[in-house]
Amino acid sequence: MLRRFERLKSWEGVLLVLLIGIVIFNSSATPHYLLLQNQVNLFQLHIEKIIIVPIMAFIIINGEIDLSVASVMALAGCVMGYLFEKDVPFGLCILAGLLTGVLTGAFNGFMVAYVRMTSLVVTLSGLIGYRGLAHVLLENRSVGNFPEWFDRLGQKPLVGPFPFALIVFLILFVIALIILQWSGAGRYVFVIGNNSEVARYSGVNVRRVKMMLYIVSGFIAAFAGLLLTARLGSIRGDLAIGTELEVITMVLLGGVSIFGGTGSLYGVLLSILIILNLRNGMGLLNIPGENQTGVIGALLILSVLVPNIGRGISEAWNRRRVQRIRVGEEEKGGKPA
Amino acid sequence: MQFIKRSFRPEQIRELSLIVLIALIIMFFSSQIEGYFSPRIFNRVTSDVAIIAVVALGETLVLLTRNYDLSVASVVGLTAFFIGKQLTAYPDLNPMLAMLLAISAGAGLGLINGLLVSYGRIPSIIVTLGTLAIYRAALVAYPGNKIVVINDLPEWITKLGSTQLFSIGEFDIRPVVAGGLLMFIIFQLVTSYTRFGRRLYAIGSNPEAARIGGLPSQRIVLSSYILCGAIAGLAGFLYLVRYGNLNTAAASGMELKAIAAAVVGGVSTNGGKGTVMGALLGAIMINLLQQSLLRWLVISDFWVDALLGLLILLAVLIDSVIMNRLGVLWRGRDLNPVDEKIIEEKKSHAA
Amino acid sequence: MSIEEKVPVLQMRHISKRFDTTQALDDVALDLYPGEIHALMGENGAGKSTLIKIMTGVYQPDTGEMLLDGKSIKVGNSVDAQAYGIAAIYQEPMVYPDLNVAENIFVSHRSGGVIVNWRKLYKDAEEILAKLDVKLDVRMPARGLTLAAQQTIEIAKAISLNVRVLIMDEPTASLSAHEAEQLFIFTRALRTQGVSILYISHRMEEVFEIADRVTVFRDGKHISTLPRKEATREKTIRDMVGRKIEDFFAKSTGQRGELLMSVRGLKKANTFSDINFDLYRGEVLGFAGLVGARRTDVGLALFGVEPADSGEVVLNGRTEKIHSPEQALKIGIAYVTEDRRQIGLTMAMSIVSNVSLPMLRQYLSRLGLIQTRKEEATAEHYRERLSIRTPSIQHPVAMLSGGNQQKVMLSKWLNTKPQILILDEPTRGIDVGAKAEVHQIINELAAQGLGIILISSDMPEILAMSDRILVMREGRQMGIFNREEATQEVILTAAMGQNSGTLETV
Repeated sequence: MLRRFERLKSWEGVLLVLLIGIVIFNSSATPHYLLLQNQVNLFQLHIEKIIIVPIMAFIIINGEIDLSVASVMALAGCVMGYLFEKDVPFGLCILAGLLTGVLTGAFNGFMVAYVRMTSLVVTLSGLIGYRGLAHVLLENRSVGNFPEWFDRLGQKPLVGPFPFALIVFLILFVIALIILQWSGAGRYVFVIGNNSEVARYSGVNVRRVKMMLYIVSGFIAAFAGLLLTARLGSIRGDLAIGTELEVITMVLLGGVSIFGGTGSLYGVLLSILIILNLRNGMGLLNIPGENQTGVIGALLILSVLVPNIGRGISEAWNRRRVQRIRVGEEEKGGKPA
Repeated sequence: MQFIKRSFRPEQIRELSLIVLIALIIMFFSSQIEGYFSPRIFNRVTSDVAIIAVVALGETLVLLTRNYDLSVASVVGLTAFFIGKQLTAYPDLNPMLAMLLAISAGAGLGLINGLLVSYGRIPSIIVTLGTLAIYRAALVAYPGNKIVVINDLPEWITKLGSTQLFSIGEFDIRPVVAGGLLMFIIFQLVTSYTRFGRRLYAIGSNPEAARIGGLPSQRIVLSSYILCGAIAGLAGFLYLVRYGNLNTAAASGMELKAIAAAVVGGVSTNGGKGTVMGALLGAIMINLLQQSLLRWLVISDFWVDALLGLLILLAVLIDSVIMNRLGVLWRGRDLNPVDEKIIEEKKSHAA
Repeated sequence: MSIEEKVPVLQMRHISKRFDTTQALDDVALDLYPGEIHALMGENGAGKSTLIKIMTGVYQPDTGEMLLDGKSIKVGNSVDAQAYGIAAIYQEPMVYPDLNVAENIFVSHRSGGVIVNWRKLYKDAEEILAKLDVKLDVRMPARGLTLAAQQTIEIAKAISLNVRVLIMDEPTASLSAHEAEQLFIFTRALRTQGVSILYISHRMEEVFEIADRVTVFRDGKHISTLPRKEATREKTIRDMVGRKIEDFFAKSTGQRGELLMSVRGLKKANTFSDINFDLYRGEVLGFAGLVGARRTDVGLALFGVEPADSGEVVLNGRTEKIHSPEQALKIGIAYVTEDRRQIGLTMAMSIVSNVSLPMLRQYLSRLGLIQTRKEEATAEHYRERLSIRTPSIQHPVAMLSGGNQQKVMLSKWLNTKPQILILDEPTRGIDVGAKAEVHQIINELAAQGLGIILISSDMPEILAMSDRILVMREGRQMGIFNREEATQEVILTAAMGQNSGTLETV
């Protein structure tokens, strides 16, 4: 644990430096950058993705993955929209949307935990299948004209300058942090990610933990989907396409290993801030959206490449150093050859 | 039974069952849809399948080594766009040259992926998630207006899509289809009969053993990525030929369909298992279902993707359940081979 | 011609290797002559595996050189090693599960054309296997073959590569006595062909049966190299450990209490059937048998990891149906696995986290948060009681030696306060000193009134430690023998299927 902890510390250190650099650059370009309102706006554009990040971090630390989150977002919204079209009371529509997330999560969890299929394959088929179901419901239509309170919740601030979604994220993040770092459940998540067989042999109910994680993931994805619908004011079958990759990128950039077993939410938070501020800064430079994504992709690769190179260099250097010492000793007639 | 055991491996049984399934699908839908067996549908299916199948082919080479290439869609889009732009600017460009250019560009992009995975020692999911974004950004950043228009392209592009190489009765075999088929045959032979091909399987089957056991794994994995990129580049060329009009979202999302085709075809995401032909059959089956559902009036065609998700699950489930049973059947009773020796010794002692 | 008069095949000179703070190898030398079996012994951490990795090109030495036939060579990677004819076989065979036997043998060959000639491949594979007098279907995928068969494939691979130096690292650790004999036959045959064999094993009896010369390493340094005739057991152990060890098999004291558990008709389809025995407080019940006897499966069934299909287990008078480890722990059964790296311990996590894991619920506050001080106190308690050598209890378990890892595993399970402790190969792969300590612990536990099931393939160990011995063969129970009547011969005969002597069926 010590060595990994130290390595993580240095990762977070680098992220922090990077973040500070970006913020300094941005605030020199725009005068009011550090104002609260501006920072809140930063979050607002991507808040639904960010809400999913903590649970995705849990799942990846647990050694699994969930590629279906974006499709569940869309499906939940479409279920709600479909029922709303049929004049079902709006409250029930919302509940149905959330229930959709629970059901898809339970299905995913069942296939991964009990049928023991690879999570990549299960959630890949979910990615395709759930979005397919979303299209079955709403076909090519879009549904809008939701009750005013719904749109307001998604688009206007709730408490001070903070919109509802942002408040939800902050609460969620704090809960996630406490659970992961300090609770028994968090320890289980780490152990299973490290080695699920050891966990099983030690009496941990691995299947139940995985099932719970996927149900939570499905629920949060559904919740995020409804929030996004509220913010946009309407829902279509192609809501949030590609979002899963962005969420995963945020998690991986935060130092969580794709193989599971390590990671910290502090790093993930830094990663979120970096990506948000980076996008904002690039937006200020009029760099188009896809190019921004490209830069973030490069950042992701560099975040693993640079430490690897560094390690390679230090190993080679150490070897040369020891050899030089040996040669030096021999020349001085010290150690017998 | 012994004959079957000696001649066929379990994977080949899997492929046979896919063929049977495809036949069943054709039979079912031909009873439901008028004119299902027509040349028009055949051409439609084969042209569509050609592109995604070719991409699935390249992806399979990478999957066999227990790696992923999520960037293929961006490679296809980028090369299609790039060649389209070149042909718009230089309409006299030789067609063969254009195709070679596409392949080399794809190979170059694949080289970058391979270097980062093999020598940079970065997990392939991370690398190709990154290059998926980077290559798409390169596409968007391409100078000039962000579209390719078919009217600006030389004539042979559109002709290539619709000419026929030869015909069997009323069914045309188009160059694109023939070329695709040829590639599959070539790569099936490569993966079954060349040292390089077998090593792909070895690396995916046990990467540790490959590393310690004297296989030049880094070089082989790098090669698989270069090949995947080159093939994706070729697919980009085919994409341009097929669609003509391109925008910056060209081929978006194709990587998932490619992986899905491979998985349905029996390629394991864990490496070491599955065949190139299986990927082809997977692509055919998926596309066939898609085209059939489109024309089937019983359910709306929006069900396609939902059913596809289900199909992938079923395919993998069948793989793990049935293949396990088959495997045990193949080995006969789980007899320890050394035990056989003991029994024989004892028999000879008793005699 | 004595062995020293020939030219050595491989010479290692002044080899040193440092990792961070540990000097794994310190100026060691080793000479290997053609046609000799050279044993390398040493405690865990002595540097043996580091040396192997340097010889096979996985690591590069910091200093020193390697000479092949007198000429200096550089082994930069596994490809180089293969080119020089250096190959290694490990305790866990490294085969490609999805490739068939023939491919496994030939896949790493550098020579040969681009095209694979399958018919020739199968024929060549069959030839080599015939040379080893082994029958395997070369078309069969390697997955699902027994460990011994997989090892045979590795040997065949080495032979096909015209190996000159074959390193065998604990090759018999997972083999039965018979399979080990088979392996010795191969090894001697290779020696006759002029191959130089570096044989690493913790098993004294083996080493003294098969080796021509014995080298001892300790703490990364070369201590001694002697012809077998001159090397005695005591001297070898003393070299390995640096001090005298009196008696490294503590005998159990055999005071038996009341009936603890009663097992009747335990059965699992295709695995084992009709297992019947009683277990008493304070007794050590040994489970003996050849590999494939399915003793571990019985243990896993009693612990609920792979539950039995039918049968009755009565614990303290109550009939229990054990269907999960959680439940087994609740009724007081604990199982210590033989595979500590894959399923016994979470290598990357600290000693503290590992020890508390099965009982984590007891360390949670009302809100579900972990009470770290309570955890640490538990770990400290066991560190003292079992003499676990570690700089700190926060250290990741991966950094400990095999023997200490075993002790951490024991701590973890002792912490569950079991009534019944099932130990599966508790001293496999650990050094002599730690082995003695583990045996002492087992005796103490028995004296405290635990019922202990000791699954072991180490015949001297099981004979010395057990009050009674249950013998299994291929999932069937062959008999239960009392301490007095149990000899190596009796046990082995029962394990191989010919019943004789007094048979206690319960």
